[in-house]
Amino acid sequence: MPLITYSIIFVMALFGAPIFAVMAAFALSAFYFSGIEISAVAVEIYRLSSAPTILTIPLFTFAGYILAESKAPVRLLRLSQALLGWLPGGVAIVCLFVCAFFTAFTGASGVTIIALGGLLYPILIEEGYSEKFSLGLITTCGSLGLLFPPSLPIILYGIIAKVDIDDLFLAGLVPGIILMIILGTYSVIKAKKSGETRKKFLWANLAPALWDARYELPLPVFVLGGIYGGFVTATEASALSAFYVLMINCFVTKDISPTKDLPRVIIDSLTLVGAILLILCCALGLTNYLVDEEIPMKILAAMRTFITNKWVFLLVLNIFLLIVGCLMDIFSAIIVVVPLILPIAEQFGVNPLHLAIVFLTNLEIGYITPPVGINLFISSFRFNRPVLELYRVSIPFLFLMLLALLIITYIPWFTLFWFSP
Amino acid sequence: MRIIRIFDDILEKLSRWGLISCLLTILTLAVMAIFFRWGGKSFMWLEPLVRHLVFLSAFLGGSLATSKNVHIKVDLATKLVEMSSSKFIHWLHRNIITLFCCLTTMALLKSSYDFYLSEKEFGAPAFLHIHSSYLVAIIPFGVGLIMLRFINQLILGINGEQRATHHV
Repeated sequence: MPLITYSIIFVMALFGAPIFAVMAAFALSAFYFSGIEISAVAVEIYRLSSAPTILTIPLFTFAGYILAESKAPVRLLRLSQALLGWLPGGVAIVCLFVCAFFTAFTGASGVTIIALGGLLYPILIEEGYSEKFSLGLITTCGSLGLLFPPSLPIILYGIIAKVDIDDLFLAGLVPGIILMIILGTYSVIKAKKSGETRKKFLWANLAPALWDARYELPLPVFVLGGIYGGFVTATEASALSAFYVLMINCFVTKDISPTKDLPRVIIDSLTLVGAILLILCCALGLTNYLVDEEIPMKILAAMRTFITNKWVFLLVLNIFLLIVGCLMDIFSAIIVVVPLILPIAEQFGVNPLHLAIVFLTNLEIGYITPPVGINLFISSFRFNRPVLELYRVSIPFLFLMLLALLIITYIPWFTLFWFSP
Repeated sequence: MRIIRIFDDILEKLSRWGLISCLLTILTLAVMAIFFRWGGKSFMWLEPLVRHLVFLSAFLGGSLATSKNVHIKVDLATKLVEMSSSKFIHWLHRNIITLFCCLTTMALLKSSYDFYLSEKEFGAPAFLHIHSSYLVAIIPFGVGLIMLRFINQLILGINGEQRATHHV
């Protein structure tokens, strides 16, 4: 009977049942077949209400959605162009910066490509970049800021793995910059080949652009300065950011109408949050069961026979996570996979912060990995191109991201040097 | 069918306005808590109250995700179904998945109601003297709401109607 039940649930998952229902069904069946009261699942679900950092998820997401809905993308794009447009590959580098900023706030939920794609694509084409490069760059950039604070996947990882979110924010900074440097270097090479005409740096352009973006610029300072200056916690930073973004966009720049737009933005952002938190709720029951049954330890025992050290483990982990990233979205992957690999990685001596960044980088790559990388579908929808074309144009970027992954995985110093004694 | 549609619209409005109220309350309380802390004051009930409002908004958001059909999915084999031109296959696929969700949320409702009953018997007052059973009741309320959305979808789906506004 258990085997039939689990098989049905598995088939339902494959055929598109919501992940939260799959998790709940697995947890309820597992507890039922083990002779434990199924109310244990509800007890586990209720644990979510005591997670101290849970508040950051809706508030940062809400702030990100308001930013995406406002004219902030246009203002930031203008500023980045004035500030960085004179560099070789300037427009492509502008694309990297603006997308990273947006993805960090919107949590890599596809909003970046939707909000910025239409603005960036014609500029890239106008500057002489090929369609192939431009599409590939925007598709890749849709998840680029994922390692930067206050990205939603970092917060979710912190909650699941019980790792300090402030430390995770810090740990992701340099690996995130490495990804940007590698993609930036490729963009410069491409710019030279495309015969891009370099622009002059003009203070006359920068000053008004800076003035226009005066309300958006303090945001990273709020988040990073506030947290690391010891003024606020990550939770408080999320509240202040959301409040600030709301007030500015509703009452100062008036980009968002409090009566017409605001309810829609709240509903859109919290629908995503609801979908994520529901999975989190239901996964708590399932993972608790798996941990109780010592499943990670059984996997570890099996792995010990052919994996002898930390470096081989990291290699196998990367391959495994790349496959996971191809098949699952980042939020489900964090919730399902992290509790399983955490104790195993600990046994192999992998630092939890390093593991987190390796994990998130793999899943960031998953966004552009065929066949089901979500950015490929969002770009296909946004630019009205066949998804197969998106597969093709993303391949060079995929290899560059894999190079960055190797660096991040095998030189833990980039992640951990903040924490060295 | 009209009654089901009206009932589902009521649930939709309840979820939407509940969610908007929750977020604005959460934001106001969270910002107030910061200013109170900077002013040297603190209220012990503020933080757990905000966390429980986030907990409630998870279910309200889940209810909207159900109606919009934007729940996060793996969708590996769904492409096979989409490739088929048979309307019956599409109908069958949609309704089997919805039926699975109905049954799961029903079992989850039973699980959460049992937890509520035990909390009612053995629980204690939490913050603001609210009995813990009321806080735990968020789960059967939220799961029940989502279950009703799935049941409505199933009834409408069996009759060939699809209410979901868009897919992600």
